[in-house]
Amino acid sequence: MNTFLYLTRRVLQAIAVILIVTVATFCLLHALPGGPARGILGPQATAQQIAQFNHQQSLDKPLPVQYAAYLGRLLHGDLGTSYTLNEPVSQLIRERLPKTLVLTVLSAVVGLVLAIPLGMWQAVRRNKPIDYVITTLSFVAYSTPVYFLGLMLVLVFSHILPWFPAQAPQGDSLAQVFADPAALVLPVVAGAASVVAVFSRYMRGATLENLSEDYVRTARAGGSRRGAILRRHVFRNSLTPVVAMLGYYVPVLFGGALVVEQLFNYPGMGLLFWTAAQSSDYPVLLGCVLVISVATVVGTLLADVVQRFIDPRVKEGRA
Amino acid sequence: MFPVRTAERRRWALAAGAVLAASALVTGCNGAGNSSSATSDSINYALPANFTPNWILPIGTPAHLNTNNVSIAASLWEPLIAYDGSTGSIGWNKAASIATAADFAKDGKSVTVTLGNRHWSDGKPITSRDVQFWYNLIKANKSQWANYSEGKAPDNWTSFKVVDDQHFTITFDQAYNSQWMLANQLSMITPLPQHVWDRTSASAAVSDADTTTAGAKQVWTYLNTAAKSISKYASDPLWKTVSGPYTVKSFSTSGKVVLAANATYDGGEKAHIATVNLLPFTTTDAEENALRSGQVDYGYINSTDLDQKSQFTSQGYTVKPWTGWAITYMPYNFDNPSMGAVFKQLYARQAVQESIDQDSLVKVVFNGTAVPGYGPIPQAQNSQFVSQAQKDNPYPFSNAKAKALLTAHGWTEQNGTMVCARPGSGASQCGAGVDKGTKFQMQVLSQSGSTVTDNMMSAIQSSLAKSGIAFSVKTAPVNSVLSQTPQCTAGQPVCKWQLSFFGTAGSWYFPAYPTGDSLFQTKGGSNFGSYSNPDVDKLITATTTSSSDDAVQQYSEALAKDLPVVWLPEPDYQISVIKNGLGGFAQDSLADFHPAQWQWTGK
Repeated sequence: MNTFLYLTRRVLQAIAVILIVTVATFCLLHALPGGPARGILGPQATAQQIAQFNHQQSLDKPLPVQYAAYLGRLLHGDLGTSYTLNEPVSQLIRERLPKTLVLTVLSAVVGLVLAIPLGMWQAVRRNKPIDYVITTLSFVAYSTPVYFLGLMLVLVFSHILPWFPAQAPQGDSLAQVFADPAALVLPVVAGAASVVAVFSRYMRGATLENLSEDYVRTARAGGSRRGAILRRHVFRNSLTPVVAMLGYYVPVLFGGALVVEQLFNYPGMGLLFWTAAQSSDYPVLLGCVLVISVATVVGTLLADVVQRFIDPRVKEGRA
Repeated sequence: MFPVRTAERRRWALAAGAVLAASALVTGCNGAGNSSSATSDSINYALPANFTPNWILPIGTPAHLNTNNVSIAASLWEPLIAYDGSTGSIGWNKAASIATAADFAKDGKSVTVTLGNRHWSDGKPITSRDVQFWYNLIKANKSQWANYSEGKAPDNWTSFKVVDDQHFTITFDQAYNSQWMLANQLSMITPLPQHVWDRTSASAAVSDADTTTAGAKQVWTYLNTAAKSISKYASDPLWKTVSGPYTVKSFSTSGKVVLAANATYDGGEKAHIATVNLLPFTTTDAEENALRSGQVDYGYINSTDLDQKSQFTSQGYTVKPWTGWAITYMPYNFDNPSMGAVFKQLYARQAVQESIDQDSLVKVVFNGTAVPGYGPIPQAQNSQFVSQAQKDNPYPFSNAKAKALLTAHGWTEQNGTMVCARPGSGASQCGAGVDKGTKFQMQVLSQSGSTVTDNMMSAIQSSLAKSGIAFSVKTAPVNSVLSQTPQCTAGQPVCKWQLSFFGTAGSWYFPAYPTGDSLFQTKGGSNFGSYSNPDVDKLITATTTSSSDDAVQQYSEALAKDLPVVWLPEPDYQISVIKNGLGGFAQDSLADFHPAQWQWTGK
């Protein structure tokens, strides 16, 4: 299959997946008992005020009609308006998404920068004590809930050793976020821990697999030094599964950001989602789910495409 | 596998070192520690967890009725009559009010209010016209106003007459209790800058548009639309003309609000601290972390963390409970198809109430941060409103008495649960509508997310079981609880709920005068369980029209005895943690905060 057809098929699949996600989320939200009016308006709201709210928000219309209207607005780039914050959802996401991206991208970069050499080193030192130690630490890091890890980081590095603030940067703009780099350390470390744990394992496995390949033996027989083989051949070939996994890891990173943002009081997408969930703010919830769905779909799509380019075997359907 | 050589090892070590250094650079590991937030001209105040300020206009719509929004708005636009607990006891704080006097007519049918010689921040005087502007807007748009309750203000105000720039008279539809009128009705008025806000659109000129109903509706729409742009609160000129001690410096959709002292303020509560930072927090845990790091000057902790009090005191904080002017309860759904008939029997409600050991709950579950509540008047503060009957607890805890009461009314215990064995409406029978074989088992839909509430429900479950009453607990976020437990009729699918609990931080916060019109009056707007008692209705009406406090006391006694809901301990509004040196204020039991009163008094 040529690349254009392949991409077209994948993009159409992605659109279908996103549509299905919006239908599912829309139905699930509206299946919640009671509806959002009482929650939004509070215990003192009168029946008349609740009816007025439902009418204003079109919540008194049949579900398919509501969904069709939502989809119509969506096609025009209108994600609706937050019930509680009054602002257009698209604007709220525009304000918050960059902050979450800062957190997730930094966590991913720091995690990968540590995980890749660590995984390779473990492979080279396979079955040595240090390999066992790092493997154990990886499993511990992987199985430790982000929330618990974050709390421990705050306890140790903010309370016992007052090195870093317990809160992430509180600024509204990215410039303000970067103006307080010390405050980014603990949230980024909390987010990066699982990346290190997961990707060092992938890297170790991939490196081991490549080390046993014929081309390594051939290169070695030809007099190439081990370091050169690792750098020039094994490293690149071992990255293929890592790149693929990175795309699939996007939702995990976003999920982790939700917890990290809550723990470190960071006003990003995760916090926006959390607050909206607490207050039954449907438009914001739908908007967040949509963004995360798009990020996931795009992430997997990119992973597939990149893998197709860097590994010819995928293109030829051999791998 | 390759042999590991020294040079290779060094290279890997160098690479790892470079990686660590790079990541440190990327994440900005510059060794920054915890900077103290407390300075003489700023303060960091922690807003309640998971709350985002979302409204600036002092005439809130229901979606924006939140005590913190009200507190922020009152710092910008001072109320006509600040009737609150900011001075330590509930009363009229004249220093924080635009009005200086309210003289009621002898017949109790009108009031003449005198305004102080005050000015807007743009130098224009605050006049009766500014109050009339508020009045006209509310009259024309009452159904959209958060504080509207049918029959109350502005329905019970028949006319507004401007006497002169500093005096106006409001006439009522009948004689009212002057304290109630002052504390609960007139206190809702906020003079608004008519000379800036009385316009129908941003481009329209200021006029007297509010003087017609159609014009007032347009002005309301314009102001409410403008108030929906949180991101413009700090920049829109509309919000620059204020009467209060503060102005908005910044207002973020993420929840952070910065207030700056209003240099032109000429009222009695001038700001002592130039910059007030109101900080949002995702959870109480996140807020406590910030407290421990010294990033918050005025915050709070969970009552379950009171055992860590010494940790905060050693860090230079004082831990101080903030009691609320509130009651806490679980409404019965009297229209529930299966248990409504049981709930309608007073003896059954007595048995439930007698099965709840409030003293132990306060001591064990609340760690002493609550007081027992036995009726419709808050009991955390001394007040003239509480009847002796409510104070004395008409139904003291006794599982034996509860069990005996049920047995005497035709219930027998089967497998640990009471079952109606003698149906009928006789004195020794289960009561009208209660069928033979009905099990005394009920379920509460309770607010989730609080360990204290979970523990309280478990304790109640255990205690009720000893009286033969089965009690199960289902949890949901508070918004969901409120949504799922509305007023209903037996035939409606939504009427399946039996008991509801949304009172982790207190179920109901009263205005200064604690009447129960919307809570316990027949068809009252917040009478979720559809409680109805004609005698109580008369007493509630009397609380607003009688000139003496006796009416409130009689109402207090009647509801303490009639048990329209399950009365529960009244938790503190907040366990405050306040930096030493911050003083000059009392914690307002109406749950508002008053930044102008805060001051650094030295440590």
